[in-house]
Amino acid sequence: MAPVDPREVQSLQNYLNQYTQQAEVYSRQLGIMEEGIREANASIETLNALADAGEAPVFMPIGGGLNIRATIVQPDEVFVSIGSDIIVQKTNNGAISYLQDRIKEMEASAKNLTEVLQKIDAQVKDIQKRLELLYRQAQTEQQGAGSLQ
Amino acid sequence: MQNISPKVQNQINMLQQMQQQMQTILSQKSQYEMTAQEARKAVEELNDTDDSAAVYMSVGTVVMQKPKAEVIAKVTEKIETLEIRIRSIEKQEKMLQEKFEKLQNQVRSEIEGRKAPEAA
Repeated sequence: MAPVDPREVQSLQNYLNQYTQQAEVYSRQLGIMEEGIREANASIETLNALADAGEAPVFMPIGGGLNIRATIVQPDEVFVSIGSDIIVQKTNNGAISYLQDRIKEMEASAKNLTEVLQKIDAQVKDIQKRLELLYRQAQTEQQGAGSLQ
Repeated sequence: MQNISPKVQNQINMLQQMQQQMQTILSQKSQYEMTAQEARKAVEELNDTDDSAAVYMSVGTVVMQKPKAEVIAKVTEKIETLEIRIRSIEKQEKMLQEKFEKLQNQVRSEIEGRKAPEAA
Protein backbone atom coordinates (compact mmCIF):
# COMPACT_ATOMS: atom_id res chain seq x y z
CA MET A 1 0.00 0.00 0.00
CA ALA A 2 1.37 3.44 -0.96
CA PRO A 3 2.11 5.75 2.01
CA VAL A 4 -0.47 8.42 2.85
CA ASP A 5 0.02 11.54 0.73
CA PRO A 6 -0.65 14.62 2.92
CA ARG A 7 -1.60 16.56 -0.23
CA GLU A 8 -4.44 14.11 -0.88
CA VAL A 9 -5.66 14.51 2.71
CA GLN A 10 -5.49 18.30 2.41
CA SER A 11 -7.31 18.31 -0.92
CA LEU A 12 -10.04 15.97 0.41
CA GLN A 13 -10.45 18.16 3.49
CA ASN A 14 -10.86 21.21 1.22
CA TYR A 15 -13.50 19.43 -0.87
CA LEU A 16 -15.28 18.38 2.30
CA ASN A 17 -15.39 21.98 3.55
CA GLN A 18 -16.65 23.26 0.19
CA TYR A 19 -19.39 20.64 -0.03
CA THR A 20 -20.46 21.29 3.57
CA GLN A 21 -20.71 25.03 2.86
CA GLN A 22 -22.71 24.37 -0.33
CA ALA A 23 -25.04 22.04 1.56
CA GLU A 24 -25.64 24.76 4.19
CA VAL A 25 -26.56 27.32 1.49
CA TYR A 26 -28.94 24.89 -0.25
CA SER A 27 -30.49 23.84 3.09
CA ARG A 28 -31.20 27.48 3.90
CA GLN A 29 -32.80 27.96 0.45
CA LEU A 30 -34.88 24.83 0.98
CA GLY A 31 -36.03 26.18 4.36
CA ILE A 32 -37.11 29.48 2.73
CA MET A 33 -38.97 27.54 0.03
CA GLU A 34 -40.77 25.36 2.58
CA GLU A 35 -41.72 28.42 4.62
CA GLY A 36 -43.10 30.06 1.44
CA ILE A 37 -45.22 26.98 0.71
CA ARG A 38 -46.57 26.94 4.29
CA GLU A 39 -47.39 30.67 4.11
CA ALA A 40 -49.16 30.32 0.74
CA ASN A 41 -51.22 27.38 2.03
CA ALA A 42 -52.21 29.41 5.11
CA SER A 43 -53.29 32.31 2.83
CA ILE A 44 -55.39 29.94 0.72
CA GLU A 45 -57.05 28.68 3.90
CA THR A 46 -57.76 32.29 4.94
CA LEU A 47 -59.20 33.19 1.53
CA ASN A 48 -61.48 30.14 1.59
CA ALA A 49 -62.66 31.02 5.10
CA LEU A 50 -63.28 34.65 4.13
CA ALA A 51 -65.29 33.58 1.09
CA ASP A 52 -67.45 31.42 3.35
CA ALA A 53 -67.77 34.06 6.07
CA GLY A 54 -68.97 36.80 3.74
CA GLU A 55 -69.13 40.07 5.69
CA ALA A 56 -69.06 38.43 9.14
CA PRO A 57 -66.64 40.20 11.52
CA VAL A 58 -63.13 38.85 11.95
CA PHE A 59 -60.32 39.58 14.43
CA MET A 60 -57.53 41.55 12.83
CA PRO A 61 -54.17 41.17 14.60
CA ILE A 62 -52.42 44.51 15.21
CA GLY A 63 -49.33 43.08 16.92
CA GLY A 64 -48.43 42.52 20.55
CA GLY A 65 -51.09 39.83 20.81
CA LEU A 66 -53.84 42.41 20.26
CA ASN A 67 -56.77 42.05 17.87
CA ILE A 68 -59.50 44.39 16.75
CA ARG A 69 -62.86 43.47 15.36
CA ALA A 70 -62.98 44.13 11.60
CA THR A 71 -65.43 43.59 8.80
CA ILE A 72 -64.20 42.71 5.34
CA VAL A 73 -66.18 45.06 3.16
CA GLN A 74 -65.37 43.37 -0.13
CA PRO A 75 -64.33 39.76 0.56
CA ASP A 76 -64.09 39.05 -3.15
CA GLU A 77 -61.52 41.79 -3.79
CA VAL A 78 -57.99 40.58 -3.14
CA PHE A 79 -54.90 42.67 -3.85
CA VAL A 80 -51.97 40.50 -4.87
CA SER A 81 -48.33 41.67 -4.86
CA ILE A 82 -46.80 40.19 -8.01
CA GLY A 83 -43.28 41.56 -7.45
CA SER A 84 -41.52 44.68 -8.78
CA ASP A 85 -43.74 46.83 -6.49
CA ILE A 86 -46.87 45.97 -8.47
CA ILE A 87 -50.20 44.98 -6.99
CA VAL A 88 -53.00 43.44 -9.03
CA GLN A 89 -56.62 43.17 -7.97
CA LYS A 90 -57.99 39.65 -8.23
CA THR A 91 -61.11 37.84 -7.16
CA ASN A 92 -60.92 35.44 -4.22
CA ASN A 93 -60.71 32.48 -6.63
CA GLY A 94 -58.21 34.30 -8.84
CA ALA A 95 -55.93 34.91 -5.84
CA ILE A 96 -56.22 31.25 -4.76
CA SER A 97 -55.32 30.10 -8.25
CA TYR A 98 -52.33 32.53 -8.29
CA LEU A 99 -51.11 31.08 -4.97
CA GLN A 100 -51.60 27.50 -6.16
CA ASP A 101 -49.39 28.25 -9.18
CA ARG A 102 -46.72 29.75 -6.88
CA ILE A 103 -46.92 26.66 -4.64
CA LYS A 104 -46.37 24.39 -7.67
CA GLU A 105 -43.31 26.43 -8.68
CA MET A 106 -41.91 26.38 -5.14
CA GLU A 107 -42.52 22.63 -4.82
CA ALA A 108 -40.64 22.02 -8.07
CA SER A 109 -37.71 24.15 -6.85
CA ALA A 110 -37.77 22.40 -3.46
CA LYS A 111 -37.66 19.02 -5.21
CA ASN A 112 -34.63 20.11 -7.26
CA LEU A 113 -32.90 21.43 -4.16
CA THR A 114 -33.58 18.18 -2.28
CA GLU A 115 -32.05 16.19 -5.16
CA VAL A 116 -28.96 18.42 -5.20
CA LEU A 117 -28.65 18.10 -1.41
CA GLN A 118 -28.87 14.30 -1.65
CA LYS A 119 -26.08 14.28 -4.26
CA ILE A 120 -23.89 16.52 -2.09
CA ASP A 121 -24.61 14.33 0.92
CA ALA A 122 -23.51 11.22 -1.01
CA GLN A 123 -20.30 12.99 -2.07
CA VAL A 124 -19.62 14.14 1.50
CA LYS A 125 -20.05 10.56 2.75
CA ASP A 126 -17.63 9.24 0.09
CA ILE A 127 -15.01 11.82 1.04
CA GLN A 128 -15.48 11.13 4.75
CA LYS A 129 -15.02 7.41 4.14
CA ARG A 130 -11.82 8.02 2.13
CA LEU A 131 -10.49 10.42 4.77
CA GLU A 132 -11.21 7.97 7.56
CA LEU A 133 -9.34 5.27 5.64
CA LEU A 134 -6.37 7.60 5.11
CA TYR A 135 -6.30 8.66 8.77
CA ARG A 136 -6.34 5.00 9.87
CA GLN A 137 -3.58 4.17 7.38
CA ALA A 138 -1.52 7.14 8.62
CA GLN A 139 -1.95 5.93 12.21
CA THR A 140 -0.78 2.41 11.28
CA GLU A 141 2.22 3.91 9.45
CA GLN A 142 3.12 5.98 12.54
CA GLN A 143 2.78 2.95 14.84
CA GLY A 144 4.90 0.88 12.46
CA ALA A 145 7.58 3.57 12.39
CA GLY A 146 7.46 3.77 16.22
CA SER A 147 7.95 0.02 16.71
CA LEU A 148 10.96 0.05 14.35
CA GLN A 149 12.80 2.62 16.52
CA MET B 1 7.18 31.45 2.33
CA GLN B 2 10.52 33.09 3.20
CA ASN B 3 11.69 32.48 -0.38
CA ILE B 4 8.95 34.62 -1.89
CA SER B 5 10.34 37.89 -3.20
CA PRO B 6 8.62 41.19 -2.34
CA LYS B 7 7.59 41.48 -6.01
CA VAL B 8 5.81 38.11 -5.96
CA GLN B 9 4.29 38.89 -2.56
CA ASN B 10 2.93 42.11 -4.04
CA GLN B 11 1.50 40.19 -6.99
CA ILE B 12 -0.16 37.70 -4.62
CA ASN B 13 -1.74 40.62 -2.74
CA MET B 14 -3.02 41.98 -6.04
CA LEU B 15 -4.48 38.57 -6.85
CA GLN B 16 -6.33 38.57 -3.53
CA GLN B 17 -7.67 42.08 -4.20
CA MET B 18 -8.85 40.96 -7.63
CA GLN B 19 -10.63 38.00 -6.10
CA GLN B 20 -12.46 40.33 -3.72
CA GLN B 21 -13.39 42.63 -6.62
CA MET B 22 -14.66 39.63 -8.54
CA GLN B 23 -16.84 38.57 -5.60
CA THR B 24 -18.32 42.09 -5.34
CA ILE B 25 -19.02 42.15 -9.08
CA LEU B 26 -20.61 38.70 -9.03
CA SER B 27 -22.87 39.51 -6.09
CA GLN B 28 -23.99 42.75 -7.82
CA LYS B 29 -24.65 40.80 -11.01
CA SER B 30 -26.68 38.19 -9.19
CA GLN B 31 -28.75 40.94 -7.50
CA TYR B 32 -29.52 42.56 -10.87
CA GLU B 33 -30.35 39.17 -12.37
CA MET B 34 -32.77 38.41 -9.55
CA THR B 35 -34.48 41.80 -9.89
CA ALA B 36 -34.77 41.34 -13.67
CA GLN B 37 -36.20 37.86 -13.18
CA GLU B 38 -38.78 39.19 -10.72
CA ALA B 39 -39.75 41.96 -13.16
CA ARG B 40 -40.07 39.45 -16.04
CA LYS B 41 -42.41 37.32 -13.93
CA ALA B 42 -44.44 40.43 -13.04
CA VAL B 43 -44.86 41.27 -16.75
CA GLU B 44 -45.86 37.65 -17.43
CA GLU B 45 -48.47 37.87 -14.65
CA LEU B 46 -49.74 41.24 -15.94
CA ASN B 47 -50.11 39.83 -19.46
CA ASP B 48 -52.22 37.00 -18.02
CA THR B 49 -54.36 39.46 -16.06
CA ASP B 50 -57.67 40.63 -17.43
CA ASP B 51 -57.49 44.10 -19.04
CA SER B 52 -60.27 45.34 -16.77
CA ALA B 53 -58.42 44.35 -13.56
CA ALA B 54 -57.14 47.17 -11.39
CA VAL B 55 -53.37 47.41 -11.36
CA TYR B 56 -51.50 49.37 -8.69
CA MET B 57 -47.90 50.48 -8.56
CA SER B 58 -45.67 51.87 -5.83
CA VAL B 59 -44.81 55.50 -6.54
CA GLY B 60 -42.49 56.80 -3.85
CA THR B 61 -44.20 56.04 -0.56
CA VAL B 62 -47.72 55.56 -1.92
CA VAL B 63 -49.41 52.95 -4.08
CA MET B 64 -51.36 54.33 -7.03
CA GLN B 65 -53.74 52.77 -9.49
CA LYS B 66 -52.29 52.89 -13.01
CA PRO B 67 -53.39 51.66 -16.42
CA LYS B 68 -52.13 48.12 -17.06
CA ALA B 69 -50.39 49.12 -20.32
CA GLU B 70 -48.46 51.89 -18.54
CA VAL B 71 -47.30 49.51 -15.81
CA ILE B 72 -46.17 46.93 -18.38
CA ALA B 73 -44.24 49.64 -20.27
CA LYS B 74 -42.53 50.83 -17.07
CA VAL B 75 -41.55 47.34 -15.94
CA THR B 76 -40.32 46.45 -19.45
CA GLU B 77 -38.15 49.57 -19.41
CA LYS B 78 -36.81 48.54 -16.00
CA ILE B 79 -35.93 45.09 -17.39
CA GLU B 80 -34.07 46.67 -20.32
CA THR B 81 -32.06 48.93 -17.97
CA LEU B 82 -31.18 45.95 -15.79
CA GLU B 83 -30.11 43.90 -18.80
CA ILE B 84 -27.78 46.71 -19.93
CA ARG B 85 -26.26 46.82 -16.43
CA ILE B 86 -25.84 43.02 -16.41
CA ARG B 87 -24.08 43.10 -19.79
CA SER B 88 -21.75 45.85 -18.57
CA ILE B 89 -20.95 43.85 -15.42
CA GLU B 90 -20.27 40.77 -17.56
CA LYS B 91 -17.74 42.79 -19.56
CA GLN B 92 -16.02 43.92 -16.34
CA GLU B 93 -16.09 40.33 -15.07
CA LYS B 94 -14.44 39.04 -18.25
CA MET B 95 -11.73 41.73 -18.18
CA LEU B 96 -11.00 41.09 -14.51
CA GLN B 97 -10.91 37.32 -15.07
CA GLU B 98 -8.38 37.76 -17.90
CA LYS B 99 -6.21 40.05 -15.78
CA PHE B 100 -6.43 37.59 -12.89
CA GLU B 101 -5.41 34.61 -15.01
CA LYS B 102 -2.50 36.53 -16.55
CA LEU B 103 -1.17 37.59 -13.15
CA GLN B 104 -1.75 34.12 -11.73
CA ASN B 105 0.33 32.60 -14.54
CA GLN B 106 3.08 35.15 -13.92
CA VAL B 107 3.18 34.35 -10.20
CA ARG B 108 3.12 30.62 -10.90
CA SER B 109 5.99 30.77 -13.38
CA GLU B 110 8.03 33.01 -11.04
CA ILE B 111 7.53 30.62 -8.11
CA GLU B 112 8.30 27.57 -10.26
CA GLY B 113 11.31 29.37 -11.77
CA ARG B 114 12.68 29.90 -8.26
CA LYS B 115 12.04 26.33 -7.21
CA ALA B 116 13.74 24.72 -10.23
CA PRO B 117 17.38 25.57 -9.34
CA GLU B 118 16.81 24.45 -5.72
CA ALA B 119 15.58 21.04 -6.92
CA ALA B 120 18.65 20.66 -9.14
